[in-house]
Amino acid sequence: MAAINPEFGKELKNYGAFDFNACYNCGNCTAVCSLSTEEDSFPREMVRFSVLGLEDDIRSSLKPWLCYYCGECSTHCPQEANPGELMMSLRRWLTTEYDWTKLSGLLYRSLPLTIIGFIIAAIGVLIFSALEKFNLQSIMHKGHIFEIIAIAAVFGFILLPNIIRMWWLIILKPKIKVPVIKYLTGFGDLIVHMFTQKRSLGCDDNQLRWFEHFIIVIGYLGLLFTTVFLDWFSNDSLFVIVLGYAMSIIIFIVTIDFMSDRIKKQKEMSKFSQPSDWMFVVWLFLMGLTAFIVRLFIDTGLIEKNIWLYLFHLTILVQWALIIVPFGKWTHFLYRSFAMYFAKIKS
Amino acid sequence: MHGKIMNASFDALVIGGGIAGGEAALNLANNGFKVLIVEKDLSIGGKMILLSKVFPTLDCSACITTPKVSEISRHPGITIFTGSEVKSISRKSETSFEAVVIKTPRYVIGEDCTGCQLCEQACPVLVHDQFQYNLVGRKAAYIPFSIASPRVAAIDIENCTLCGACEKVCPTKCIDFTQEEEEYCIDVKTVIIATGFNLFDPLKIPRYGYGTYKNIITSMQMERQLAPTRPFNTILRPGDGKVPDRIAYVLCTGSRDMTVGNPICSQICCMYSIKQAQLLMGALPMADVTIYYINIRSFGKGFEEFYDQAKGMGVNFVKGKIGKITENENGNLNLRYEDINENVVRESEHDLVVLSVGVLPNTDSKALFHDGDLKLDPFSFVDQADPLASPSKTSIDGVFVAGTATGPMDIPDSILSAGASSAEAISYLNRRL
Repeated sequence: MAAINPEFGKELKNYGAFDFNACYNCGNCTAVCSLSTEEDSFPREMVRFSVLGLEDDIRSSLKPWLCYYCGECSTHCPQEANPGELMMSLRRWLTTEYDWTKLSGLLYRSLPLTIIGFIIAAIGVLIFSALEKFNLQSIMHKGHIFEIIAIAAVFGFILLPNIIRMWWLIILKPKIKVPVIKYLTGFGDLIVHMFTQKRSLGCDDNQLRWFEHFIIVIGYLGLLFTTVFLDWFSNDSLFVIVLGYAMSIIIFIVTIDFMSDRIKKQKEMSKFSQPSDWMFVVWLFLMGLTAFIVRLFIDTGLIEKNIWLYLFHLTILVQWALIIVPFGKWTHFLYRSFAMYFAKIKS
Repeated sequence: MHGKIMNASFDALVIGGGIAGGEAALNLANNGFKVLIVEKDLSIGGKMILLSKVFPTLDCSACITTPKVSEISRHPGITIFTGSEVKSISRKSETSFEAVVIKTPRYVIGEDCTGCQLCEQACPVLVHDQFQYNLVGRKAAYIPFSIASPRVAAIDIENCTLCGACEKVCPTKCIDFTQEEEEYCIDVKTVIIATGFNLFDPLKIPRYGYGTYKNIITSMQMERQLAPTRPFNTILRPGDGKVPDRIAYVLCTGSRDMTVGNPICSQICCMYSIKQAQLLMGALPMADVTIYYINIRSFGKGFEEFYDQAKGMGVNFVKGKIGKITENENGNLNLRYEDINENVVRESEHDLVVLSVGVLPNTDSKALFHDGDLKLDPFSFVDQADPLASPSKTSIDGVFVAGTATGPMDIPDSILSAGASSAEAISYLNRRL
């Protein structure tokens, strides 16, 4: 017997869902979706589950992650029930469901709490700098060490357990038998999807969207690698310096385009932005921009007199690493690729 | 260029000479009132006269309509203006309206035409036949259709080359290119709006490919292929003239769909599609007919039994709205839909697709009234001021509404509505006179 949560619809509205109760089950959304297949037909099934409040079925489903939000379903929905935005809301909801700390849920549902989190992070940076007596060299050095520790800690204590939770919800709990060998053979898919997002090429809308997303992932991972492993801000190798510049430029240029889409609201997928969407894209933009300017100031020798600039960059970094990465939209990077992996090994 | 303005007076003006307008006019005339029917087409009979059979009884539609149409045409109390439109109506006094009617020239003297069709044979111009819904062609000098009333030729002046061939062969010399538009100023005591409905234009849904793919037709085009006065004498798909084996019906094309601005149910498409499917089973016994639906709304008397009968005959019903259609090289069509009962998206191939197009309001009536603005409902049908107690009343005293001008309905309901409307109009006339 499936458990029904009659409050589920109300809960989902906190994550951005619209009037999905208007759905009259015609299946038009599923039929116009170019990613929908006989094996995995969506989004109507997810709309139905949401209407009925079948939480467990949604929790154990990978379908929300198989959608790449081209928005065709919403454009052509005869009831204007907006299935595309429902799928997006389900992804937000699933993100909070996978999170064992439950902090994601709090931050997704409450903007004030999120802002408080950001302010605490900023105050923390200020206190830390004061303790360091605003000595740039030592702040930069410890900032770099913080990056390494934060990445390891977030992965080890939050993201890894969350992925294991996702695995438990999708494979173990529904008692799906998967031979061990499949875990190994499917691994290639995980890597491919993580770094290429090639499934989204199946969307009808355009190849440009995929390309933009692809290069922003390259830019982000590239900047992460340059700053953390090559220690960009303290490195004198010309190659590393230029690499860092290139990566940060990519990030802030593409994020400008993403932000302008969300402001213009012409594409179906950028019509409805939740705070979590805005923060993700704005902080990514600020990261790219501030990293670029910091390095520029280092190269022009202005940084000593403008220590505030590095502190601003560090604040963005801390907020990003402690709030957005573990509890926000960043996690889609992992969940989407693991969803493809689990889908592969399940089949 | 206007000719002279002519005056006339009637008790009642019926706008629209379809089955509802005709029925209302007959009731009024049989009660001794002088009635004018203004019909914009070249023949009265509306859409019903063009249909094949009616649901759920499978009676011949033309065989019901034609005697009625003859009765209307021959009635001494009824005057009919075909090819005419009401330009405006304004209240003249407490008890009367003044209507301006424009009669466009037919270029044929109706009283003299014998309907011999010699002009049709002589005319060198071929254009799409609008009464066969563009399935075949017609001449520029033509009789609208074989059971038209009046069965009188007309010259389609927009396509005519003025070659004079028809004039030469006409045995009664009734072709007259000097005719001009006539304007009438008509005094009436009451008005009945029976302007009917428009069919949804499937070009508004590009993902169905109507107009691009060759073997997609509308339900009205299928209706013509099944009618007694059908163009081909069998069922053919338009792309290559092949007799189809696998026919699909796409229900709710332009109905219950907010993306095309029509959120309401058209009330007739389920049943006419089931009717056509049954007729197809008779016309093409080897063909498979599949009806793709969201919900089958078989709500009227005898409708559910009619639906069961279709299932019994082997019509295939699939729950799922068609999302998109693509065309194969051989002209066959792939329909993509979600099978709702199975929760699975599927694609199926058919060699002829019929779009069951919905009912849209005919908004022409809105512009008719100068004062006492005629109210429309949220879906642009004529608003019924008192739908429960007095369903034929509009927002204007003395103006009544009949048939599908008030909203989507089937033929029996249209005739019922026309009956109610004429009864209201008669009591209105009797009270005021």
